[in-house]
Amino acid sequence: MAPPPLTPYTFIQCPCSDSSPAGPAPASPSGLGSDAEDDDRTFDPRAPRSNYSLHPLEYLMYCEDCHQIRCPRCVAEEIVTYYCPSCLFEIPSSNLKSEGNRCTRSCFQCPICIGPLAVTSLEAPPDPNLLAADNASAPSGPYILACSYCHWSSTEIGIKFDKPNGIYSQLQKVHNGGHPRVTAKDRKDRRKDTISETTVSSEPSSTPATSGPLDTETHFDNLRSFYTHQISDSVSSGPGLSLTDMGVSSPSSLTRLMNLYTVNSLDPSKKPTAASARRSKPTFREAADAEEGLQPADLDESSAIQALRVASWPGTATAEQRGTQEAVRLSNLAEPPLHGRSRLVSELRPIPVLLRTKRSKRCPVCRHIISKPEPKVASTRFRIRLVAGSYIPAIAIRPLNLSSPSLSSPTAAAANGLLQPLKPVQYLLTFTNPIFDPVKVTLATPATVPGRFASKVTVLCPQFDIDANTDVWDEALRAGEAKKRADERLEGLKEDEDVLEIPMFVRVEWEVEAAAEVGTAIGGKETRERRELAYWCVLGVGRISQD
Amino acid sequence: MSRRPPKGEYIETDTGNKVARKANLVGTQNIMLGGKTVIQPEAMIRGDLTRLNPPSSTSSSGAAAPGSNTAVSIGRYCFLDRGCCLRPPSRMYRGTFTYLPLRMGDHVYVGPGSVVQAASIGSHVHIGKGVVIGEMTIIKDYTRILDGTVVPPHMVIPSFSIVAGRPARVIGEVPEGGHEAFELRELYKTVGNNPQRAPV
Repeated sequence: MAPPPLTPYTFIQCPCSDSSPAGPAPASPSGLGSDAEDDDRTFDPRAPRSNYSLHPLEYLMYCEDCHQIRCPRCVAEEIVTYYCPSCLFEIPSSNLKSEGNRCTRSCFQCPICIGPLAVTSLEAPPDPNLLAADNASAPSGPYILACSYCHWSSTEIGIKFDKPNGIYSQLQKVHNGGHPRVTAKDRKDRRKDTISETTVSSEPSSTPATSGPLDTETHFDNLRSFYTHQISDSVSSGPGLSLTDMGVSSPSSLTRLMNLYTVNSLDPSKKPTAASARRSKPTFREAADAEEGLQPADLDESSAIQALRVASWPGTATAEQRGTQEAVRLSNLAEPPLHGRSRLVSELRPIPVLLRTKRSKRCPVCRHIISKPEPKVASTRFRIRLVAGSYIPAIAIRPLNLSSPSLSSPTAAAANGLLQPLKPVQYLLTFTNPIFDPVKVTLATPATVPGRFASKVTVLCPQFDIDANTDVWDEALRAGEAKKRADERLEGLKEDEDVLEIPMFVRVEWEVEAAAEVGTAIGGKETRERRELAYWCVLGVGRISQD
Repeated sequence: MSRRPPKGEYIETDTGNKVARKANLVGTQNIMLGGKTVIQPEAMIRGDLTRLNPPSSTSSSGAAAPGSNTAVSIGRYCFLDRGCCLRPPSRMYRGTFTYLPLRMGDHVYVGPGSVVQAASIGSHVHIGKGVVIGEMTIIKDYTRILDGTVVPPHMVIPSFSIVAGRPARVIGEVPEGGHEAFELRELYKTVGNNPQRAPV
């Protein structure tokens, strides 16, 4: 299989990765200073760490205060706005804490194909022969969620809705199949009833829990309230701490709970000491019935196996579909007895849309904001947007084959997009100056490219000036020649090892008006401040032919 | 480019539109071009699919002037590449089948062979090669739709999204420095009857 053609590219190294001490162990003698060593070291685009420090120019930011490039890995992000990408409504962050990171309106994704679900009326369209006034009445329910990509609809899991809006809350109240589901509010009400009942009869009643197995949320709720009562009872009977001091999750209650298992039950041979006996004197009782959260494990899985057998392969949910369901479980919308692990397609639930954010970015060093979008969802403007593209020259590389009459091979090489070993190829580097001051550029490359298939590189014009950016695009062209030489034996290639990448050190120098607030310019004399920026970049040139 | 028709391959209008003579425009009176828009050969715009007004409903909405039924409206500096198709979306509205206008902002590139049935496309949108955009889709500004994507009907794509896949899903975000790449002014200059050479 032929490798895909490679369009030449330029990646720039962010200086944030420089500070890391990692890298090859210094082989130089100890006499050399670390500075000299630093200068000698060339950037290796093949080093495993390089993948994380190289970025296209568009992804880079520029801090005006530090005069340094900043990459997506080193900036600090702050969330400005949360919004739903489907209905484009902004979600206040207070709602986010209570309702989770998914849209709670009517935005859902198909559980089968993740396409968007549309609320559709199930009722047949009104007769067009009727009067317009009759037709104008909005279609009435029931409503379903339908995917127009794979034609899945919520009727397949037996769910219909009465209203076309607020689908999220409606979906929370029904199980697959359409039977109602106990919500948190219902549980609270029921709990209140049973508690008043038990206080009257002073013994746990088992009347309301006889109807089938508990769902997960009721189960957890019952268990938690039972153990909260146990703890508060034992505390109130014990000395010292008041009830308000101790929550369920306070360290002392946890020790108490752990003691219950470690001291008394797990080690029967060990005689309970006086201290532990005293501590466990207000004994913890275990949950004894469904009202207290006892749920015998259903070990009989024959029905599940039978269901799988009936549904067979097409009816079984894929790992990807189950993965998205797992995320839905957190938003309390999944089928509870399954804990989000749906095996069958019929157990899947529509996926509420995950919210998206608008984020501002800060410089990691000086904490200045380098990118800040408008908080409004509809706006695409930025209040602050310091992108590297408007500070450092853009570098484009392309093969120079038209104007090289002496070399006929590059055109042949370019035909199949591969570089022929042992044939020199010329490339043209184009620097575009984005700033309104002339810029002096110095280039340096290692004589040979690092890697197993070393290629020789010569930059024909390592130092040149680019004129200031004007309204008319003014481009300075400089030719660089990369003479390549690669080994003939090219078997045993690793992935992308045949891609020729040239590391290049770019140093940019320019002069700007000195900042007025700096006190150095006391006299009326206009001072010019020299700025310089130096960074490594990688030029991806092309693939080396393996023939 | 060896054979050039004597009249020029493109019709260039006063507002700077460059429409290829081989482009397939149907119902031109219902197509609005904002200016400086390029329509390449074999591109098709279905301007004939206008809002259908059933005779019964004219009594209630008689205000609809005959000139206002624009089927496709396109902003400035749009580029419709070879063999793409713009088709107004249709839907059932109050029990009747009707077409709705397709609105497109500025600097929208539609790749070769793509079919667009969106309800609205914002500004600075790049639609790749062989993309299908389903009916009533809403695409916001600064969105890049990669080659071969199938955007399902009714999908909403928020601003600064990079979208790919079948069905489409948002796979990334357009970086801050990538906004200028959506500008189509340079591309506009490279086509026409006397095109400029593309800058390096």
